[in-house]
This record gives sequence, C-alpha cells and structure tokens, in this order.
Amino acid sequence: MEVRRLQRQYVEFASSLFREGFLDEQFSQVQQLQDETNPDFVYEVVTLFIQDSERLLSELARSIDEQPVDFVKVDAHVHQLKGSSASIGARRVKNACLAFRSSCDGNNFEGCLRCFQQVRNEYSLVKSKLESLLGLEQQIMRAGGSVPTLKC
Amino acid sequence: MAAMQKLGVANLNAGSGLGLSKTDEDVPDQFPAGLRVLVVDDDMTCLKILDQMLRKCDYNVTVCPRATSALSILRERKSSFDLVISDVHMPDMDGFKLLELVGLEMDLPVIMMSADKRTEMVMKGIKHGACDYLIKPVRFEELKNIWQHVVRKKWNENKDHEQSGSVEDSDKHRRGTDDAEYTSSVNDANDSNWKSQKKKRDAKEEEDDGELENDDPSSSKKPRVVWSVELHQQFVNAVNQLGIDKAVPKRILELMNVPGLTRENVASHLQKFRLYLKRLSGVAQHQGALHNSMCGPVDSGTKVGPLSRLDIQSLAASGQIPPQTLAALHAELLGRPSTGMVLPGLEQPVILQPSLQGPKCIPVDHREVTFGKPLMKCPSGMSKHFQPAGIAVEDMSPSGFGSWVPSHLSSVGNPSISGLSGPQNGNMLVQMLQQQQQQQQQQPSPLPLPSLVEASHLPMNVQSSCLVSPSPPPTGFQIGNNPFSISQNAAVLLRSQLSKGLQAGGAATICQTHPVYGAPAMDHMLLPHSNTLPLGVGQVVAEGDLKNAVMQSGYFHGSPVPPAAVAAGASPCDGWRGSALSMNPASRLAGFVPNLGDAHGSARSTAALGGAAELQGRNLGFVGKDTCIIPSRFAVDDVETPPPEALNQNKVGGADDTGRAQQEIHLGFMESPKVGNPGLPHFSPGDVMSVLSK
Repeated sequence: MEVRRLQRQYVEFASSLFREGFLDEQFSQVQQLQDETNPDFVYEVVTLFIQDSERLLSELARSIDEQPVDFVKVDAHVHQLKGSSASIGARRVKNACLAFRSSCDGNNFEGCLRCFQQVRNEYSLVKSKLESLLGLEQQIMRAGGSVPTLKC
Repeated sequence: MAAMQKLGVANLNAGSGLGLSKTDEDVPDQFPAGLRVLVVDDDMTCLKILDQMLRKCDYNVTVCPRATSALSILRERKSSFDLVISDVHMPDMDGFKLLELVGLEMDLPVIMMSADKRTEMVMKGIKHGACDYLIKPVRFEELKNIWQHVVRKKWNENKDHEQSGSVEDSDKHRRGTDDAEYTSSVNDANDSNWKSQKKKRDAKEEEDDGELENDDPSSSKKPRVVWSVELHQQFVNAVNQLGIDKAVPKRILELMNVPGLTRENVASHLQKFRLYLKRLSGVAQHQGALHNSMCGPVDSGTKVGPLSRLDIQSLAASGQIPPQTLAALHAELLGRPSTGMVLPGLEQPVILQPSLQGPKCIPVDHREVTFGKPLMKCPSGMSKHFQPAGIAVEDMSPSGFGSWVPSHLSSVGNPSISGLSGPQNGNMLVQMLQQQQQQQQQQPSPLPLPSLVEASHLPMNVQSSCLVSPSPPPTGFQIGNNPFSISQNAAVLLRSQLSKGLQAGGAATICQTHPVYGAPAMDHMLLPHSNTLPLGVGQVVAEGDLKNAVMQSGYFHGSPVPPAAVAAGASPCDGWRGSALSMNPASRLAGFVPNLGDAHGSARSTAALGGAAELQGRNLGFVGKDTCIIPSRFAVDDVETPPPEALNQNKVGGADDTGRAQQEIHLGFMESPKVGNPGLPHFSPGDVMSVLSK
C-alpha cells in the first residue's frame, strides 16, 4: 500500500516537473537509459549535473565579479552550463542560459547580472526538485516497489 | 545493406565485433553492434549520458573528458576506433581542432556535437570535415543511426579510391590492415585484399568516371584535368615564386599560364598540395616515411621502363624538382593507380599541356649533382617533342612492368617468401631488410642481378619517371611517376653509402639491395622494346600475385606478427599498385621504414621519401608537425648518419635469418602506434630537425 502511494506521489510530482517546465523529454530519455545493468544511472547523472553546475556557477560568479568583465569567458561558462542542463533535460535552467548568452553577446553587464541570478535560481529550483524526485525513487525502491516510468 | 556489402571487409574490424563477414552476402546481423566509438566531451553529465546511450546501442564506447587525451588515445590506437564523437567547446582544445587533427591523421569519421546550434557553427563543423553535427541534447534516436557515417565514409573512400586513387586510399587501406591486426583470421585479411583488388578492377572499368578531385563534387562535371609532372611542376614553381603562404589560385593560374586550366582546377590542386605539405611535414619527421617511399617507388619504378622513350621529357623536368618531391607529389596529387592491373590501351584523360618554359627553381642542390648528367644529355626542349597522350597509351603498358618488378624483387628477397611470388611489397620489404649478400646471389630472379654499376644508370630512370605526362588512367600514370623517386633514392643511397660509409651494420647489404631496386627499372629502360617481353612477364606475375596473395597472408600469419604480415601480403594482392599506393596501413609501413631508413642512414632519403611515402604514411607523422621545413619537402640533400637506436634496431632485425623479416616487421609494427608520439624512442624530433636543416 505504501508502495502504491509512493508511486502515485512520484508520478504526480514528476508530471508536475514536466508540466512546469523544470524538466523536459530529455530527462525522460535519461530515465529510460537506466536499466538493470546500470540501476543508479539517473542518480549518477543528476549527481554529476549538480557537481558540474555548482562548479560552473561559482566560476561564473567569479567571472562576473571581475572588472572588467570578460564576456567571452562568462559566455563560455554559460555555454557549458547550458550544455549540461540541456543534456539532463533541465529546461528552465537551459532557457535561462540562453537568455544569459544573449546578454553576453551584447556585452550587457546589467543583463548578465540579472541572467546570472535567474540561472542560479532556476538551478536551485531544479536541484531541489531533482533531489525530491530521486528521494521519492529511493523510497519506492526501499519499499520494494519499482519506479514508474514516466511519460512527459 | 547494399552499401555495406560493398565495403571492403578489412574496413570494419571483425575482431572487435564490428565484423563484417568476408563474403559479400552476409553482413552480420549484429552490425552495427560493436561499433567502436570514442566520445570526447568535457561536460561530464553529457559524457555520462552519451556513454549510456551509446551502450544502449550496443556500441563499444570509450569516453574521454579531454580533447588532448583523446587525441593521444587516437594517436596510439587509432585503429581501435571506428568513429569519434566530439564536443565543440572544450577548454583544453577546440573541438574543431581535434576534428581537424583526427581528419588529417586518422581519417576517422568525426561527429561534432554542441549545444550551439547556430548555422555558422554547424557550417564550421562541416568545413572542418565533420561527418555530422549533433545539437545537444543529443537524442538516443540520433545515436542509433551514427553507424551510417562509418559505413558511408568507408564506402566513399572505396569509391574515391576506385575513381582517383586519392590520398584517402592510403588511409583506407591502412585502416583496413590495421583492423586486421586485431583479427587472427587469415581469411579476413586475404579477403579484404582480394576485395580491394576486385574493386580496383571494377574501378578500371568505370575509370572514365574517375574524379581527380574527390573533395570537389562540382568538378565531376568538368573535364578532368590531369596534373602531369610538368603541369604540377609549373604549379609548384608558381607556388614557390609566390611563397606558399601567399599562393592563391588566381595568381598561380596566372603564373602557370596554361590554357584550359581553370582557377578551380588550381584551387583544388592547391588544396591538396597544402594538405600534402602539411601531412608531409609531419611525416618527414618520422623515419617511417622512408619505408613508405621505398616501397611505393619501387613498385612504380617498374613503370619507368616502358616509358623510356619519354625519358627526355622527363629529364627536362627532373632537374627542376627533386625527384622525390615529384614522386611524392605525384603520388599524392595525381592519385594513385586505382587498379591493381593496368590495362593496356587506357583511356586518355584530358591533358593539359603545360608550357615548359616556367622557371624551374626548386632548391635542390643535391639533385642537380645526381641528375646533372642526364639533364645535360637531354635538352629540355626535347621534352616538347613528346606528346603525352601517345606516351601513355603506347608506351606505358604499366601493368606488365609494374608487376614484373615487384615479383623480381620478391624473388630476391627471402627465399621462402619468394616462392609466393605474389607479395611484392612484402618481399620487397623483406628484401630490403636483407643484410646478407649471399641471399641476393641465391635469388632465383629472372633477370640478372643488377650490379652497383648499374646505379649510375639510375638517374636515367629518374628521368623517365618524370615523364609523367599524360596522365593515363590513374593506374599507369602514377606508376610512371613513382619509379622516379625510387630509382633516385636508390642511386642516392648507394652513393652516399659508398662514399660516405655511413652505414651501420647492414650498410653493405643495403647497397646491394638497392641496386636491385633500381635495376628492374633500368632494365626496362634499357630495353628499347621493353613492352614486349617485360610486359608479358609482368602480367603473368600480376595474376599470380592475386592468387598468391592469400598464400602470402597465410604464410605470415603463422608468424608472430600477423598484422605486419597482412600488410605485406595485402599490398601484393593489389598488384604492384598496392604497395606503392596506400594499400599498406601506415603503421605497417612505418614499421618497415625505420629499418630501412636506419640501414641507409640517409636522413635525406627519409625526408624525401617521406614525401613519396607520405601517401601511405599519412598517419605516421604529425609528430612535431611544426618542425617541418618546407625545404625538406622539396629537397633534402644530405645524407645523414642514422640515429644509433635505429641501427640497433636494424641489427636486431638481421640477427635471425629465418625470422628476420618478421622480426623487423614486428619491431616496426610495434613502434608504429607511437608514430604520432613525440616521444618516439629512436627518432627524436631533434634528429629530424638536424637532418632537415642540413
């Protein structure tokens, strides 16, 4: 019973993440890549994404604090963040990165600052969402159930 | 599926699971399972996901987070991969740079990927030679299909090969053989060889479709321009006059002043020329180059004979450009013969008659000395008398000579091998490795052994080789050119060795060996009616080669170095052509090369030959690419003392009579993977530099 409840909760939560644009179909692909030969695949990918993103965000923060701002360098970091967020399907982070890059292109410092805040916020959001999702998965597993497959 | 069937078996590695079967009919169901993919991306998240996606496709995946380490992996084990997927933006090396290097050195299909989907970025990827450009996030569906790039590339290479004997051939063949090294199946190797052979023959039939410029699709509609030696020489002169950096097609065209030649013709030729120089610069630093040149030229050298009438013409050309350079360039730019056997009465491609007046100003002092006589005897004006077209058709009879010579050589070489008569290349190599005179004397060669005296005639050969003119079908043509370099080298080597006594342990042997190489060509040349006898012989041999190719491979297979064996055997299969051309995997050739080079101790020949061999050894070099000096390409004239290590190697090879050939091959082979490695033990960049600078 507990498993059913958790599974339902998982599906609802995951659906909301897709619905609200935190995640996109790329995340579904990542989930589908997980199999018995690689049971922790999603967890590992999310962990990598979090590590990577935090590193990039701190580098971004440093780059933006520099005066004068090296927009090329900032842009390179944003590009990387965009790549990894796109890879994992963190759509809103990716979109924030897109806006960030156009600010970089225009050497728009104000815009960059704004976008940086936005990227950081989106990242924090998706990070907590992903952690919640993974937490639910683990609960389901511990309860002896299997994680429902999601359709976005 | 049809395309797959067309692939040479050797192209796909059976050993690693890719395994196309040897027969055309059955392509293993599991393909593309086992496709060996190297993924390069600094984004760990993406790398992880790609890794898993590719595994889901049943590919054999290797991931690498750094472009630089990916490059070294590829340089060391380039034959271990079928496909490379690389990110564009990487901190340690731009993905496009990696793409470029991979394209030049390994010729593996490379797929670029990036979150950057701007058209200009995709375009950049294409321009740099990417076979595909995936937008991140990469989807599973896209990856399921990427094997097609492997197939397509190989297929295209086959086509190119057939049509124009392009530079790519060497890579293709090399790869094929490389792959074979992971296989223990004799059949595979034989099969692939046989297939190549067959393909070439097929190519022959369609040769009027031949495209000189593979990379220029549009050129297919234009009349084919044959870059004869003279024409090419004019081109080189023009480039030299302008300076390689400032040479633009338009200016070159103006300087060349050849009616009928278009800017596009020049542009594409220039492109190839630049590529060639680029690669050569890398190759020249590696001793491996020597080997290639030796092998290639020897085979083609045979062709010289038939062309003897044209000697005068060639003479005119000979003094102006270092023979090696010419040969190398020819091999590279004119394309190698696409067919194993040359058919008499080949079609005459459209030929541009270059005006012979251009300034011939290539700095080759050494050359002048060597070839001074011939030049004196033959007024350059003479060359004008010869009609290129006539030459190709009437005199060439390339097949006969080409094959003939190789066989002769083989007989000279290792007795056991000689029995197989097929493997010119292998035998030649063996022969070259021979360090004992007796063996030479024992050989059952059909012709009298050439004496050292004959060496003096070599220059003549060179001349004839120059003759280049009408570019006959890809096959005959090329052959004519190559000989040139060979004989020259032989002559040079002989002299240098005799006069300077540079040799290491094997020097004496080498001297003798060389005359042999030169000899066949000479004989032909000297024979006014060379066509008659030699031709017949050659053809017979050629056929025999095909049949024997299998045997050859089998023979080698027993040996500890199957890959090498395959290489050696493989080329023969193709007929003489194979050896000169790219049939041999670079690595194999490389293996041989060191020995040869060392034995001769002639750095110069290495460099010069490197040019000729360059085709085959395309991958060889790239060590210290930048170090290369243009002069070296055109004329490296001094004979150098071989690096000590090299000598040692040589001795080792000679230690055991029976196993010697294999041993040396083996040594070479072992080293070949390191070719790209700056840390090459026995041939440091410094050595190269010193050699070249002289």
